[in-house]
Amino acid sequence: MAKAKKKAGEINSSSMADIAFLLLIFFLVTTTMDVDTGMKRTLPPWIDPTEQQNDVDVNERNVLKVNVSRSGAIMVGTEEYRSSDLRRSGEHSRLSREVYFFLVDPERSNKKDTEIDGGMYKVSEGLVSLKADDETEYKVYLKVQDELTHAFSLYRDDVSRQVYGKAYDELDDIQAGNIRKAVPMKISEAEPNDQTKK
Amino acid sequence: MAVMAKKGKREVPAMSTSSLPDIVFMLLFFFMAATTMREVDPLVSVQMPEAIEITELDKKNLVNIWMGKPLGAAKGEDALKIQLNDQTREVEDIRDFISATTVTKGVGPKDIVVNLRVDEGATVGKLTAVKQELRKAEALNIAYAARASETNR
Repeated sequence: MAKAKKKAGEINSSSMADIAFLLLIFFLVTTTMDVDTGMKRTLPPWIDPTEQQNDVDVNERNVLKVNVSRSGAIMVGTEEYRSSDLRRSGEHSRLSREVYFFLVDPERSNKKDTEIDGGMYKVSEGLVSLKADDETEYKVYLKVQDELTHAFSLYRDDVSRQVYGKAYDELDDIQAGNIRKAVPMKISEAEPNDQTKK
Repeated sequence: MAVMAKKGKREVPAMSTSSLPDIVFMLLFFFMAATTMREVDPLVSVQMPEAIEITELDKKNLVNIWMGKPLGAAKGEDALKIQLNDQTREVEDIRDFISATTVTKGVGPKDIVVNLRVDEGATVGKLTAVKQELRKAEALNIAYAARASETNR
């Protein structure tokens, strides 16, 4: 009789937390929160070689030609750069500085009146045409792309300071969008068949 | 007096820890939802190049194309292979791959971003071949996958 009165003992659930913690730590360790990072580009639409080509007329003056040879030597316009010129000393590399000056200097690339957020500003029409030999190492190619992007970022910063009085990084999304639209990353990756021509 | 004595004897009840598992489970589910398990096993080894001017890529509508040396290749063998999903394929297969991906994702080729995970030792010629195929497939938004540069900053 006394036995029937005894309640069934409760299962101790204090270890439940430990089990859950173990699971949690397991998932924390095994899953990777890796974010994909990369450099965004937009390719030109495909043009059928048989179709008649009507090339976009770009003023030669506004084009800065960047050629990368298979050995990693870089020609910017008529000047020769070495791979050490890609390395940054301080904030900028020699290449990014050169491209930036090309964009800023009204003597080197035309400035066009562009409307940004209701105001008119002079924005460079400069375009960088990047050509690389087929045998060029991808590492070098991307480093060149990196420095070209950096030059355009610097220029965006410049325009942003003119328009909004602060750096591009500090702008809100709409303002940053306005600047991006007005100052697109004009880096053209040449057609492969163009590579034989110089 | 009697009341006082009673109060002094009363013990503070132990804090209930019964909700602790719930909290931890909630954390667990959060992490399970927030993190992604690697979906495809790499078949080619890709050492991504370093870059500084990189942005975060939105996982949504991101399509990966790997290019690198096949895993377990002999030392002298350095032919680059292209990996789409979990198979090594040829350059010509990219167009079919893109159209198949747009169907499964239910978006147009212009809405996807193709993440090119190319080994830093690859050549530009191989990359150009891939880019030409992407242009034919009308997948014009690409990204050169790169990892953040640790030095040189």
